[in-house]
Amino acid sequence: MDQDLDLMLRVRAGDSASFEELLRRYRVPLVSYFRRMLRDPALAEDLAQEAFLRVYKARARYRPDARFTTWLYRIATNLALNAIRDRKEISPAGDGESSDGEAELLPVVDSKPTVEQLLIESHRVRLIRDAIQALPENQRAAVILHKYQELDYGQIAKILGVSVSAVKSLFFRAYESLRVRLEPLLKGGLI
Amino acid sequence: MSCTEREKLFGYAHRLLDPREEHEVRAHLESCPTCRAAAEEYRKLDTLLEAWTPLEPSPSFDARVREAVERSGASRSVFGLFGLPGLRWMAPALVTVLVVVASVAVLHVRHGRRAAHAPAQASSMPAAPAADALSAPPTGAMGGEEELNLYQNLAVLEDYDLLAEFDLLSELPKGETKVEN
Repeated sequence: MDQDLDLMLRVRAGDSASFEELLRRYRVPLVSYFRRMLRDPALAEDLAQEAFLRVYKARARYRPDARFTTWLYRIATNLALNAIRDRKEISPAGDGESSDGEAELLPVVDSKPTVEQLLIESHRVRLIRDAIQALPENQRAAVILHKYQELDYGQIAKILGVSVSAVKSLFFRAYESLRVRLEPLLKGGLI
Repeated sequence: MSCTEREKLFGYAHRLLDPREEHEVRAHLESCPTCRAAAEEYRKLDTLLEAWTPLEPSPSFDARVREAVERSGASRSVFGLFGLPGLRWMAPALVTVLVVVASVAVLHVRHGRRAAHAPAQASSMPAAPAADALSAPPTGAMGGEEELNLYQNLAVLEDYDLLAEFDLLSELPKGETKVEN
């Protein structure tokens, strides 16, 4: 049995240690998911917290008829899409400005990079983030769920409530937009 | 290159094609440098996107989740719904509605009892004004018990603070849960 699913069944039976384990496993993926979907890092964390809370509150109704990650990211995606629609988030592309603190955008790196490397990395990550966040919300969700959260097309189809072929189409259209927007990086050898 | 063909190249780069289509595209790429470059571009894009690595939550994140879960667990009763931010404003309105419903029920019971006794009393006394009827003391054993129950419920319903602290009271040791009347 899927280990996460087993943990969730234990949570349903009242085992708080299993919920702690799910929190430990999914704190980074879930926060990353919301921060990739939304421009506001504080809102992203609030929604990640709300997603965990909803998982906990729904424990009694949980049925293991799908993979745990499908269920988890369906909750998360609903929260993210509602937040995007409520706040009418606009594409940041082209303005060069960001509401995020730049330090928060920098991923943790293993070795000590030079200042120049940090600047290049920061610039590259910002361009990628802006390009992804400029995508229509369903394309954005499809790309992030597949590329970063490593969900398969079947799972994404269930999460977004569309067919698998529709997910592939969303994914293709998203990649076409990203290819155009990130052309300077693709051609400029900054990879 | 048409969009359909690009979609095939994208599918090829992401292993989305069935074996027959994959074989066709592979054969085409061997003789077409333009399509080969396009397919390569999708792979480069995949590599580029990997630069946006997972982002760590803030240090207080776990504690906030635990706190939210504990708060949620502490309000297991129906009244715990008032703990939700979106429903908190509804609490006074709901209590008011319950009080009004209970009051109407009291009036209804009294009115029904008075109607039942009216024929018997009609021959011995003149009809009383409506206001007097509503304030008349209860008569009859069954009616008195029902009315007493309703009054008791009314007292609880009116005490919103008691409702709000319902769970807290239930968790105290038995000796401390007595409510002074």
